[in-house]
Amino acid sequence: MNKEKYNVILDAIPETKARLEILFRQAGDGFLQVEYGRKQRAALQDSFRMLAINDIILTKKIKGLIETVPGIRTNLLHFDPEVITNKALIDIVKEAENSMPAIDKVVLKSRIIHLPIAFEDSETKKAVEKYQKEVRPDAPNIINNYNIEYIAMCNGVTVEETKKMILGTNWFDSGGGFWPGGAFLWPMDPRCALVVPKYNPPRTWTPEGAVGIGGPCVFTYTTPTGGGYQLFGRTIPTFQFACKHPVFKDGPFLYRNADRVRFHETTEKEVNKIYKHVHEKIDYKYQIEEGEIKAEEYINWYNSEEVQKGKKELEAKQAIGVQKAPRL
Amino acid sequence: MLQIKNGGIETLVEDWPGRLGYLGKGMSASGAFDNVGLGLANILVGNSFGEAGLEITGGFFEAQFGIDTAIAVTGSDMKPVLNEKAIPMWETISVSKGDIIKFSHIGEFGFRSYLAVAGGINVPEYLGSKSTCIFGSYGGFKGRKLAAKDELVFGKPDDEPSDSTGRKLKKEAVPTYKREWILRAMPGANTSPDYASEKGMDHLFEHTFKIQHTSNRSAYRLEELPDNFFARSDGGVGGSHPSNIIDHAYAIRGALNICGNTPILLIADGPTLGGYMCALNVINADLWKIGQGTPGRDFIKFKLTNQEEATEARINQKKLLSEASLL
Repeated sequence: MNKEKYNVILDAIPETKARLEILFRQAGDGFLQVEYGRKQRAALQDSFRMLAINDIILTKKIKGLIETVPGIRTNLLHFDPEVITNKALIDIVKEAENSMPAIDKVVLKSRIIHLPIAFEDSETKKAVEKYQKEVRPDAPNIINNYNIEYIAMCNGVTVEETKKMILGTNWFDSGGGFWPGGAFLWPMDPRCALVVPKYNPPRTWTPEGAVGIGGPCVFTYTTPTGGGYQLFGRTIPTFQFACKHPVFKDGPFLYRNADRVRFHETTEKEVNKIYKHVHEKIDYKYQIEEGEIKAEEYINWYNSEEVQKGKKELEAKQAIGVQKAPRL
Repeated sequence: MLQIKNGGIETLVEDWPGRLGYLGKGMSASGAFDNVGLGLANILVGNSFGEAGLEITGGFFEAQFGIDTAIAVTGSDMKPVLNEKAIPMWETISVSKGDIIKFSHIGEFGFRSYLAVAGGINVPEYLGSKSTCIFGSYGGFKGRKLAAKDELVFGKPDDEPSDSTGRKLKKEAVPTYKREWILRAMPGANTSPDYASEKGMDHLFEHTFKIQHTSNRSAYRLEELPDNFFARSDGGVGGSHPSNIIDHAYAIRGALNICGNTPILLIADGPTLGGYMCALNVINADLWKIGQGTPGRDFIKFKLTNQEEATEARINQKKLLSEASLL
């Protein structure tokens, strides 16, 4: 038998100073996966580049390319093989990659979305209570009827420090998926990089606007659904099925790829009021700033002594926290 | 107009190709689970092949027509009757105002029936499609399955419905249903040598998998894989199990997700992204067979194919779902 019969790597381009090796993987008769590096890693610089290249590809308005679905280190190209071949798509991606030879050329359009958040609000507390009552009464991630103390414990910090970390960084959207309108938000400041295990088993209900963390990512729940992220508060709507509010006039989604989310603490009363102004009166003014991310600037800042020192300090705390926190 | 008397087990408004272009927004394409069944029913009544019709899963659907029109029933033979009298499938029949159509339980073969009406089902398009995503409760008729007392409105047909009455399909155009469904598939994105063992991949393409009863429009679960399926001992930074991977987009519809040791076909309403490897992808032209696979009863076998054959199969399916299939 042919040893290569399950080979799916159709093509590859070697690593350069500016980026990892790029693999082109067959993923079906209408799908091509572009992957950065053979070794898996979750690094924002890969995502910046992936999304910048993705913007170039989309600008070309390629006939037969139905959509692209970027992740943190992959991009999935969904195409119609009756209109375009995967080989032609590979050439287009290569061309886009070659047009961005150096890291200082990676500049990504990125908005900053300011979201009010109420920590430890009564709606997400209801979701935790329901879980404890109906799913897992002995859940070790529920302390004082909520998850925030568990989040703090896992990371070897206090609840107040946890809140400061959530408020203290921009959260980068590497691409959406999984649930309608959902986005996976990564901390840009490694000194705020909380990490927690997900629920086991998952919740059956989470309210709209709940904010939680699972693994390294924060997620704002767009509609009521199940879920597995540890909850710490509630924000304003990030999705609207009916597309009535002007911010949703082009579709029910608030987030775009490469958005940065910044949380600002407010009261539960204020959050509830905003719900009315988004869904009923449709006159709430979302605070959204246009902007860009310069990859080189970010990497230099990330590697600076001060940031690295803080990162190491947090990692030391987390090493102790992981020992203490019960497994789920 | 169609007034629902009994929604049956799960009856949904679906079209084809569904809601394309929103995977990155967490929205799968949904769409008819068996697009060949829906497509042929549509062609029979003079609609375009992708027009919205009713997908009747499991049976027991019952409804009354509010106007005179033409319909066609395809898919699994659920012994449909009109005013208690048996009606033929895979051909166009005329119905009159007041007629009641009724389906029994699933037939000997297949799991889903399709009912197309001249002019199609007139529900509002949501993000470019009339399909229901039952998993996310949007699209179709109020984002849900049909229930007694619901009223559906039909679209306006291009031609007089009576023009299509009596139309039949060529014999070779009617698909053959079995209890073992051969699905042509292309390996990828995660295969041997880096994610799965070659032995494991051989097993995937040689074994006949029973469809688990826990299957639905999001996921068709198959029998577990042996541990030697995997090439890795763990998922590295992706997680502790060798099926774990750093989150990536799922190539749906059609990806075979390996979730722990359980292979899961991600179909119509399935998740668009997640942290499990995908070992193969059922080609677009064979997706319809999954929709006729009956959970807890039928079997699935994967057959290795390549891009050229898969593209050819798409072209052939387009020909099938056209007036060329009419007698």
